[in-house]
Amino acid sequence: MSATSVKTLVNQPYKYGFITDIEADTLPPGLSEEVVRLISAKKNEPEFMLEFRLKAYRQWLTMSEPNWAHVGYPPIDYQKIIYYSAPKKKDGEKLASLDEVDPALLETFEKLGIPLSEQKRLGNVAVDAIFDSVSIATTFKEKLGEAGVIFCSISEALQEHPELVEKYLGTVVPIGDNYFAALNSAVFSDGSFVYIPKGVTCPMELSTYFRINNGDTGQFERTLIVAEEGASVSYLEGCTAPMYDSNQLHAAIVELVALDNADIKYSTVQNWYAGDENGKGGIYNFVTKRGLCKGVNSKISWTQVETGSAITWKYPSCVLVGDNSVGEFYSIALTNNCQQADTGTKMVHIGRNTRSRIISKGISAGNSQNSYRGLVKMGPKAKGARNYSQCDSMLIGDRAQANTFPYIQVDNQTAKVEHEASTSKIGEDQLFYFAQRGISSEDAISMLISGFCKDVFNQLPMEFAAEADKLLSLKLEGTVG
Amino acid sequence: MVIFADPLNAMLQTDAYLSDLLRQSQTQTIRVRSEISGWLQELRQKAAYEVAHQQLPTRRDEEWQFTDLSELKAIAFHNPPAVNIDPETLASFTLPEARHSQVVFINGVFAPELSDLSALPPGVFVGNLMGLPLEANYDAIKYIAHQDDASEVFTALNSTGFPDVAVIWAEANVTVEMPIHLLWLTVPTPNPALIQPRGLIIADPGSSLTVIEQYGVAIAACSDFTNTPPYLNNAVVEVFTRDNARVNHTRYQRESGSGFHIGKTVVVQERDSHYTTQSINFGAKLSRHHLNIWQKGPNTETYLNGLTLADHSQIADTHSLIALNHPHGITDQLHKCIVDAQAHAIFSGKVFVPQAAQQTQAAQLNRNLLLSPQARVNTQPQLQITADNVKCTHGATVSQIDADELFYLQSRGINAEQARDLLLDAFAAEVLDRIPLASLRQRLSQCVACRTEELFV
Repeated sequence: MSATSVKTLVNQPYKYGFITDIEADTLPPGLSEEVVRLISAKKNEPEFMLEFRLKAYRQWLTMSEPNWAHVGYPPIDYQKIIYYSAPKKKDGEKLASLDEVDPALLETFEKLGIPLSEQKRLGNVAVDAIFDSVSIATTFKEKLGEAGVIFCSISEALQEHPELVEKYLGTVVPIGDNYFAALNSAVFSDGSFVYIPKGVTCPMELSTYFRINNGDTGQFERTLIVAEEGASVSYLEGCTAPMYDSNQLHAAIVELVALDNADIKYSTVQNWYAGDENGKGGIYNFVTKRGLCKGVNSKISWTQVETGSAITWKYPSCVLVGDNSVGEFYSIALTNNCQQADTGTKMVHIGRNTRSRIISKGISAGNSQNSYRGLVKMGPKAKGARNYSQCDSMLIGDRAQANTFPYIQVDNQTAKVEHEASTSKIGEDQLFYFAQRGISSEDAISMLISGFCKDVFNQLPMEFAAEADKLLSLKLEGTVG
Repeated sequence: MVIFADPLNAMLQTDAYLSDLLRQSQTQTIRVRSEISGWLQELRQKAAYEVAHQQLPTRRDEEWQFTDLSELKAIAFHNPPAVNIDPETLASFTLPEARHSQVVFINGVFAPELSDLSALPPGVFVGNLMGLPLEANYDAIKYIAHQDDASEVFTALNSTGFPDVAVIWAEANVTVEMPIHLLWLTVPTPNPALIQPRGLIIADPGSSLTVIEQYGVAIAACSDFTNTPPYLNNAVVEVFTRDNARVNHTRYQRESGSGFHIGKTVVVQERDSHYTTQSINFGAKLSRHHLNIWQKGPNTETYLNGLTLADHSQIADTHSLIALNHPHGITDQLHKCIVDAQAHAIFSGKVFVPQAAQQTQAAQLNRNLLLSPQARVNTQPQLQITADNVKCTHGATVSQIDADELFYLQSRGINAEQARDLLLDAFAAEVLDRIPLASLRQRLSQCVACRTEELFV
């Protein structure tokens, strides 16, 4: 392949980069106690919520931005960010059905491949669509309700099930956990709430789709999933944003709680706008995701496919408190052009016979930086705990960077930890072998990459696995010459 | 008015403890030839400036987050008085293979009467800076403190007050067959001593050297848990392997159970050079070994082997750094730790493979064996890679002795205790077997057996 064809192919347009022109109810940029109060008031929240937010805001003021991650970016001006933006409702009343949602919004989600209207929606996936700061619509609510599953936006949950939210919110990621978590706790706008009652297996896949539309808005959503004893749920999250020259901040929190014998599977396909080939624009994706295996034999599994964002700073973690609980982390992080990713996981083993497994695949192309950073901690009481980690990196082009920073802390003799990492590139001989069989380099590369990521794809729900595979080959087409 | 902007001055913070250490260090005198006294003064001033503008690291520093220096800070260290030891004490340290190529430093100062260099061939100099011939090819000031990272606080502190410099220098194309035994002996004094050994090992183009560097405490008994007065050994050894040179460097640290050891080995590798090290850490209440490799030319080969044995409440920390910057380098690192009782082992291994270092092959493996419920391990292998045409792997494991392996041996009629000893011996042997001296191999292997046996429950 010649250099020019490589270049043209690398510049794959970001097809979700359009902007929806819609009237929005937006707070002026800036953050103060007043703004926090205003957000809370706008959402008509119960008193405990306002206190939660104010406490977080006060704590945030005393904290400083972390700088240990292997990423670089100009300082963020937190007073220039809009902390609340919502599409204007026609009459300020709660929408009775989807028919009342602004057709422009429905169209937006249709364009993104997430049809919300009755006749078109996916048969077996319930979707909560979030546009800038608020939840637009949640599908299949009635059907889920029959099984006792609560799936709604967190604002709605605060109105209808405040006791559940109060009981679990902030129990996994405390208010002052880190700088961005404190910020989120103070200003979070919306997100999804899932509650699976005792013994229930959620009858369908649950899914949230996040969309940032406004150019100066920060998106701060908060997801809380609670699986009661013996419950089981699979949850998916997808995200896109328009192309802007400026950077937008996305600081989300996801909290998972699994009680005895519960099972939560959380999958993410992250495709925020990554900026152009010179690194201009794109989303700063600074996210705190943590799951608590509170009960015995519980299981939390994270699967992520990270392809977008200018900067990703994200460590979906598992705190394994219950005896025999299991944590899993499967990740593909792909960076191209000037993207920077510092991602990985934390597995904190506290209970006995807890097990965790980490499979991380990093692909870096162009001028990008891709770091795996993972912590495996075996507490003194984690008798017989096991961990296996594998992080493989693939480098495409000689300007891409792949780093691994594992932290292994063992305070227990009976624990067993294994960590393996490797770095390689697509070999000439592999491509030659394909060429010999009449397969073009382009196809060969996409096959090699699918093969490289197979361990992770296998963990994704069917439709998403196919989509993620396609997304990767799209993003990488032509990067190898 | 001219405003002099000095970035270091801007963050001037005073660390009273470090200032005291610096003051002690600066009272140390050294005898050098008058030709280089000007250079030395300049070096010391620069280093003092660097120390004065830094602080002693705390656990808030990323590089020191697992190694707590507060116990060190509780002790005021002083410049030790001149001491001597009798030849009998020395006898237990002598290695039969290196009986006549042994150079001894007491508390960092050359002891010619204890050294025996009679077997050295021509073309190699072993001694101290004062004794180095005044010839153009022995221009030590081109090398001392000329490594990257010389401003790191403990290294700079050493530069402000090393009392002597051990020099091992092989001239171009000289192959030194016999191992050279560089022995740093500490004589603890009732007043806690600050000892700052400084070494310079140079292998000129095409030469070959084998060095056994040993840190020990001058008492007849097994030093590991003998209670001597506390002392701080802040050692810096610079190794230059020039074009085509080969250095095999065994570094064996066995300070007393109440000593603090902060040691640094900096290696500069030029084109086509080979550097192999066996770094053995058995002693000290708290030890920290920095092992930094700077690649300055293509085609280098680097083999780092390490064994740490820690028990009681020892803290044993190894921080290695391999900074490649040229193509076709090969590095292979194996670091093993055996941790018993309430001991704490720390390993951090960085490997940098920038874009210039194409065709690099880098492998790193860290294996840790925990023998007791309270033993702790922190390990951080780190790879930073920007070159695509490379093969790099790293791995880390932490476990206790494998029950299956024990069972297998027991099924062959070996009792549990012997089976365990056998497995431990094999674990250590993977590193010890790479030591080029049979007598030292045997001594260390016995030491591992003795240290791990008594605690068998």
